[in-house]
Amino acid sequence: MIDTLMANQESPFLEIKEVVHRYNNKKVLDIPCMSFTRGKIYAVVGPNGSGKTTLLTILGLLLKPTSGKVFFEGKDVYAHPHSLHDIRTKMTTVIQNPILFDMSVEKNIEYGLKIRGTTREERKKIVKDCLEMVRLDGFQKRRARELSGGEAQRAAIARAFAIKPQVMFLDEYTSNVDEKSIEVLNDVIATINRLYGSTIFLVTHDTRQAYNLADEVITIFGGMLVQSSMQNLFKGRVTRVNDLSIFDTGKIKLEVVTIKEGIVHAAINPQEIIVSLVPLSSSARNSLYGMITEVFDDGVRILLAVKAGEDFKVKMTRDSFQEMKLTVGSKVYIIFKSTAVEVF
Amino acid sequence: MQYLWEGFSTALKLIFTLDSEVINCTLVSLKVSSIAVLLASLVALPLSFVIVINEFRGKRAVITLFDTLMAMPTVVVGLFVFSFISRQGPLGVLGLLFTPAAMIIGQFILSTPLITALSISALQGVDPRVRITALALGARSYYVTLTLMREARFAIVAAIIAGFGRIIGEVGSAMMLGGNIRGYTRTITTAIALETSKGQFSLGLALGIILLIVALSVNIVLRYLQHKTR
Repeated sequence: MIDTLMANQESPFLEIKEVVHRYNNKKVLDIPCMSFTRGKIYAVVGPNGSGKTTLLTILGLLLKPTSGKVFFEGKDVYAHPHSLHDIRTKMTTVIQNPILFDMSVEKNIEYGLKIRGTTREERKKIVKDCLEMVRLDGFQKRRARELSGGEAQRAAIARAFAIKPQVMFLDEYTSNVDEKSIEVLNDVIATINRLYGSTIFLVTHDTRQAYNLADEVITIFGGMLVQSSMQNLFKGRVTRVNDLSIFDTGKIKLEVVTIKEGIVHAAINPQEIIVSLVPLSSSARNSLYGMITEVFDDGVRILLAVKAGEDFKVKMTRDSFQEMKLTVGSKVYIIFKSTAVEVF
Repeated sequence: MQYLWEGFSTALKLIFTLDSEVINCTLVSLKVSSIAVLLASLVALPLSFVIVINEFRGKRAVITLFDTLMAMPTVVVGLFVFSFISRQGPLGVLGLLFTPAAMIIGQFILSTPLITALSISALQGVDPRVRITALALGARSYYVTLTLMREARFAIVAAIIAGFGRIIGEVGSAMMLGGNIRGYTRTITTAIALETSKGQFSLGLALGIILLIVALSVNIVLRYLQHKTR
């Protein structure tokens, strides 16, 4: 998928090149090249401390990388510092656990509009529309700091959305939020993207949500891009046995193709995994027997959670799923090639 | 105890009869301290903001310096300013000694470090997410500053109140630089010192009570304004 991202030349309007960022001399992000096209929803997934937020903050121009370049509409943003603010006004970020200013909800929502010189009447109308969208209409005069966690998150997104940004960055927007608010927020994100063509970046640890909402899912691990989904990411030890590299997590053993030895991480793209009710004799070197524990329909494909020593996520077409009459509790074989296991 | 009762009754009498001497002292105190605290705030607030948002070598030392200067003895400040504005001093030609302007300079020097140190503490107490959120919403530096100030407004008002409290009640520099000239540079505190030295304890006490009432009233007004901004 990263290949797709890199190769995607469909008017990339936001790009980063050779970006490295360090905190206290420790490298936390190292991205050789990434470009993004307008109007898409991108999800950035990865474990805690993998550099997701740093990447988002750099893309949102709130943090200058230690080295490397950030381009917006082809312009190197840090080569023209005087235009940095103008570019920044075209985008906005809703940080993780966003804070509302200590003022009314209405004043919070119109904050960015005031900066942009929007008239009072217009501001009032936009505030009302935005609050309606996040289902907080009537909250205008409420003290922002008195809202509940879910309400505050919705208000923060309304505040960001009010300025109709070309790009919107949302960092873990569902953390500490109730189910009802998550639904509302997901609707709002899809609507913003559809109605205004805003490019949206979501940072999330919920891969299901990422695949459900996003056009592209970017996986980041240890500050680097990973060319596979994080859904099947395991830590283990690689040993050489009779010219074969065996990756052992302690629960499963997989045949992999790598020159590395010792403690490594391995990831398997869910789309590279075949599901079968019977053992298959094929060129695929890895076959594990397990049970389906969860089935999720994202409207296009079926996502299965399979317990086979480790927890695997597998993607399949709805037709195959129906033909095989799979359900939660079905016993299946999951099969994938050793080359499908990316070791890093 | 007799002094106390006499003091209270004299204070009430002086207040209700609008004693011209008392009114005069009070007005001089208010004028000098208000101007001084206003000027000090104009310097201290931007200064505290610059110190808080910028990372520079020696930042901790600067903050410690302001913390230390909060405890500057008023008489030392009086002496310091005196040495500059006395007839022999480098600014002697300006003829500032024994004028309200000289008192304002002294009180400005006394209150600026206090307001700065407390404002630094107030701004450091603002959630760091506020600044990043303001930037993310497209605010320029000055608007980010206003937003941070607004978030810290209660603590900043408290810093200004503390600065005012420090100078309205000081006597050292006011006496040295103002000279306690009746109707011109005599403040409530210098009047208290004078009346007490003359043996007029009850009048001194009455003026003390009036000083407290003045300080209380200023606090109430500022707190009210603070509440209104919520």
